[in-house]
Amino acid sequence: MIENLLTYIIFTPLVGALVVLLLPKSQSHLYRIVALVAMAVTLVLAIVAVTNFDTSVAGLTNSESQIQLTQKTEWFSIEMGDLGKFSVDYFVGVDGLNLSLLLLAAIVLFIGAISSWTVEHKKKGYFGLYLLLASSILGCFVALDFFLFYLFFEFMLLPMYFLIGIWGGPRREYAAIKFFLYTLVGSILILIVMIGLYNSVYDPFKTGVEAGIFEASVLPTEEMIIDVQQGVQNGAIDDADIVKSFNMISMADDANYLPYSILGRNSFGEIFGQSARWMAFLALLIGFAIKLPAFPFHTWLPDAHVEAPTPVSVVLAGILLKIGGYGIIRTAFSFFPDAAYHYSWLIGFFGLFSILYGAMNALAQKDLKKLIAYSSVSHMGFVLLGLAAMTVEGVTGAIYQMFSHGLISSMLFLIAGVIYDRTHDRGIENYGGLANQMPKYTVMVTIAFFASLGLPGFSGFIAELMVFIGAFKSYGVIGAIPYWMPIVATAGLVLGAGYYLWTLQRMFFGKFWVKDKAWKEHLTDLNLREYLMLVPLVVLILWFGIYPATLLDLIGNSVEGFTQLISESIQK
Amino acid sequence: MDINDIIIVTDFNPLIFWILALLGIPLLSFFTATFLKKNAPLWASTLLFANLLVAIYLAIEYWGTQGVTIRGDWFGIGDTRFTYSFFIDQLALIMLLVVNFIALLVHFFSIEYMRHDAQKARYFGLLGLFTFSMLGIVLFNDLLFIFIFWELVGLSSYLLIGFWFEKKSASLAANKAFIMNRIGDLGFLTGLMILYAQFQTFDLEGIKSLTILSSIEDGNWIAEYFKNGELVRNSLDGRWLSAAGIALFCGAVGKSAQFPLQVWLPDAMEGPTPVSALIHAATMVAAGVFMIARIFVILDAQALEVIAVVGAITAFMAAVAALSQFDIKKVLAYSTISQLGYMVLAMGVGAYTAGLFHLVTHAMFKAGLFLSAGTIIHQLHQLETEETRFDTQDMRVMGGLRKFMPFTFFCFLICALALAGIPGFTGFLSKDAILLDTAVWIDEKGGGFYFIEVLAFATVLLTAFYTFRMIFLVFTGTFRLPNLVDKSVTLKPLKDGNIFLKLPAVLLAIGSFSLVFGLSFKAEDTWFYQVIQNPIFLVPEPYAAFNLIDIPLEYFEFLHARVVTISIILALAGLVTAFLMYRPGARFATSFPEKREPIGFFRQISFYHWYQNALYEKVILKFILMMSRWLAWFDEKVLDGFVNMIAKLQVVIAHLVAWFDKNIVDGFVHLTTYTTGKVGQMTRSIQSGNVQGYIMAAMAFLILMLIWLLF
Repeated sequence: MIENLLTYIIFTPLVGALVVLLLPKSQSHLYRIVALVAMAVTLVLAIVAVTNFDTSVAGLTNSESQIQLTQKTEWFSIEMGDLGKFSVDYFVGVDGLNLSLLLLAAIVLFIGAISSWTVEHKKKGYFGLYLLLASSILGCFVALDFFLFYLFFEFMLLPMYFLIGIWGGPRREYAAIKFFLYTLVGSILILIVMIGLYNSVYDPFKTGVEAGIFEASVLPTEEMIIDVQQGVQNGAIDDADIVKSFNMISMADDANYLPYSILGRNSFGEIFGQSARWMAFLALLIGFAIKLPAFPFHTWLPDAHVEAPTPVSVVLAGILLKIGGYGIIRTAFSFFPDAAYHYSWLIGFFGLFSILYGAMNALAQKDLKKLIAYSSVSHMGFVLLGLAAMTVEGVTGAIYQMFSHGLISSMLFLIAGVIYDRTHDRGIENYGGLANQMPKYTVMVTIAFFASLGLPGFSGFIAELMVFIGAFKSYGVIGAIPYWMPIVATAGLVLGAGYYLWTLQRMFFGKFWVKDKAWKEHLTDLNLREYLMLVPLVVLILWFGIYPATLLDLIGNSVEGFTQLISESIQK
Repeated sequence: MDINDIIIVTDFNPLIFWILALLGIPLLSFFTATFLKKNAPLWASTLLFANLLVAIYLAIEYWGTQGVTIRGDWFGIGDTRFTYSFFIDQLALIMLLVVNFIALLVHFFSIEYMRHDAQKARYFGLLGLFTFSMLGIVLFNDLLFIFIFWELVGLSSYLLIGFWFEKKSASLAANKAFIMNRIGDLGFLTGLMILYAQFQTFDLEGIKSLTILSSIEDGNWIAEYFKNGELVRNSLDGRWLSAAGIALFCGAVGKSAQFPLQVWLPDAMEGPTPVSALIHAATMVAAGVFMIARIFVILDAQALEVIAVVGAITAFMAAVAALSQFDIKKVLAYSTISQLGYMVLAMGVGAYTAGLFHLVTHAMFKAGLFLSAGTIIHQLHQLETEETRFDTQDMRVMGGLRKFMPFTFFCFLICALALAGIPGFTGFLSKDAILLDTAVWIDEKGGGFYFIEVLAFATVLLTAFYTFRMIFLVFTGTFRLPNLVDKSVTLKPLKDGNIFLKLPAVLLAIGSFSLVFGLSFKAEDTWFYQVIQNPIFLVPEPYAAFNLIDIPLEYFEFLHARVVTISIILALAGLVTAFLMYRPGARFATSFPEKREPIGFFRQISFYHWYQNALYEKVILKFILMMSRWLAWFDEKVLDGFVNMIAKLQVVIAHLVAWFDKNIVDGFVHLTTYTTGKVGQMTRSIQSGNVQGYIMAAMAFLILMLIWLLF
């Protein structure tokens, strides 16, 4: 069971999707139950994965032995004569970098399934696609073979495109196409680098087996791997025996790059007179920054959010954005730490700029969902700032921010959905004094807003604090980003308070007033289903704000390993 | 020294239960009031009473001890431990007593004050939340935890200012308070970043111990210590040492309403008056001063100078603003800002004890003033009917209240005498101590700092003046309300409040007699000075400021007579001026009710508080909103426009390519087929099947061949 756990997690929703497809139209009331059950099972499995995660294992993120719950089988391989062997694995596993996000995905997808309860239009398609989306998201977080990762990454686009394009708001088609094309541009950049990496990286274990140094059945030790690596570097191993690989863990180790390969650390490959590694890093960074999204690649986000139905917005903001951050950590920073260091100022600056720019834009929005969308841009800026710091605190903060924002933004979009369900209008200026009419809803909104503006006690505060202290420390420890960046970034907190409190005051306080008198009777307070979605989120947000150790113990070792590798790498 | 030997997890100490009780009881009050709703006032007051008993017990148990620390681990990142720590020392004990005492009185007062409010359960719940957060600031000895509870205090203040959320002005005031506090908190956060970068802990004991060990080399601030056995050497430019102090002080600037962030406090008077007494006079606003006291020893000379200057400016500016207000709560609010300015000034000149002493005395008499004012407001509110609505806080409707509310008058008067700094009352003792220490500090410092002294003494005069202006306008002369409302309406008689309103006010009035602290007229002789002493600065040379303790006592003695004389003369001058202007029948008193907008530059400066609000709202806020709209336009039109343009360009190119494909590429194909077809057609037309034609063609061809061959 445990050996295949991650596989079960990936494929449970897919099985659910199949069930939905096979159920006849006459049983359409069962679709949502299937979806809910599938997501509940996935959530339970994800929790099992967390409880089975050994927090004592050191977390060097370039060492396969320190990845847990792994499953690795050859998917296909092609012999290419003198060019060696082309090999793609079904390789999944977790470490501190992705475990928290896997858990987050399971939680948010489950909440999204509850939120989908009221979908009435073309149910079969909706729930089928939702479950398909769930599978590809979960797969994306645990895949450790770049080919597999890319497959999941690309496959997310398809259900997402239809979910926005069919079940969305009035401008759904525009938004869906924009989302699709924008992300596709990013994917292409990632694809190019992936091909470059494939040409440069080999799998030392498989190469050792191929070259006959050891048997496939043995458990490779550090020394054996180093043996192979040295063999490849000094040409002792025949080119034909080299097994090229998409293994993302191998890619994170400079020693696994072929000598004289374009992206090798010591081969100084160049493209257009620029270091190939730097170019590859930038391509990956931009590819994932689109997903994150960071300024100036964020303009797909407001449209996609505004048009997407509530549960899809929740999944989009809650998880999809995090794939951007995760991708930057797992690929760009892990593969090319030297380039990351070279560009750290720029990354930090774009993080800082996103924080302020997103917040300023949120301040000007008249549509509640757009406001929340821009606040996401602002909050994701902290992820970049924390990563650019390259300190343990900064990277911890970045991951914590992703997790925390996943919960908080889910709650925010659910809240926007509550009002939209009732009146089909999200204009901030079309409401006033809702606290009189919907006091319990107002309490939830206040909690969500204060959580999002980083009030201590909620998870967002821990994340932002970590980013700040990590970023300030950065210059003294590693020299990545200057002192003024985190200081200026604190202004984002004031702007955050500004747009949230202003919204609260305009929509919820004052005398009750709505633009259309007919709305009044629809504006009922929260119902049970809404409580079921919101209360668990409140509990989680508080929990991770008060007991951060719950999450930090899971991610701690890997973050330490990750930053250690970076600092070792830049000292080379 | 290894940092982990400083921030050690302490052994179990039963004290922890008492501390948890102190925090837990108000929190319980919050939950019971919020979720049970029924009997919330009773429950909340009972719980707070229990909390005061706990505080008293602790005070008896730990009075005069060195201070007890309880520390535990919260979480860890890498090799850094994040701990929490409680610290029960003399200062914490005094603060516990003050906060719990005033909170209890305010609860008690609110039972009557909020009796008819439909939402009183929410109100009492929020009071519980506030007390919980405030006690957190007092109990924790860890800057991160102080910051956490600091922000939570801000939240409860926000929720209580905006308690009557249907009033737009209330929710706007709540926003302003929260945002101004947040701006200050950015500084606090920056201070945390600097200290963390240097010491990798937020524990105050750790920070203090490592500050002593740190040194200044070549203008760099070096912190050298061991961490898990490994030597750590962190270096920052020396200016960051001053910056850390100033940044942390920014937090106090927001919370304690100092220049330039003080504009939120007058607006905060939108909240219920007991809330103003508890939060915006006695406790929360004093938290800033308390926080400075906690970080006092790591402040360097430059940071202290900044603190002193800000305090003096605030004290003076707010005193000027209090001169011309109509709203009784606004006068008290500006007065609070001004007195907080004194406390901050005291901290800045190194007068730790004097500043904290003023914090305590001010908490009593200002809460007393607010609760007495609350009684007046509450009783005036009883006169309101459907037909007669008036502003119950406006001094223009008051006058002659001494006759109707003699009890309230005496309470108010005693607290006012303390505020004005009249000998025999607490305010005199503490303010005098601050003025003396300021005078000593300035003599030592010299240079351009004399203006601080001028401002501090000028404020004494202004304070006495606005205090007695208020007393004359509210309590003497004739009751003006009957002349202002419709003559046909008969007003109910105005009278003193009931026991719920009387008891808290009288207790606070009693607390305003200097006897409470001792028989002497000198602050140094009070018991407060026995238990709280000026600590020694720990900052490395040459950044360290001089300690007031190092100055010989004779010098204090020498200055004391002068300072006391001047301050008493100034206070009396203020009193006399107020009497001349506002005594019943005097010119200003008679013309007072008709006054609307003040005329004249200086009066407007005073009334509009130096136009600071106008500057913020009309210039800065407007600029930010304009920027945000401009950026939103940029985002939509330029950035997204660019994306859309690329998309459109793509479509245009696609059309061009399609045209090219259809007309050129495919056209070429068509041309080929066309030509082939045409050629075929032409040749086909020759093969018409007409034999005569073939023969004709053959003959013609033959002839042409012959001609070509022959010639």
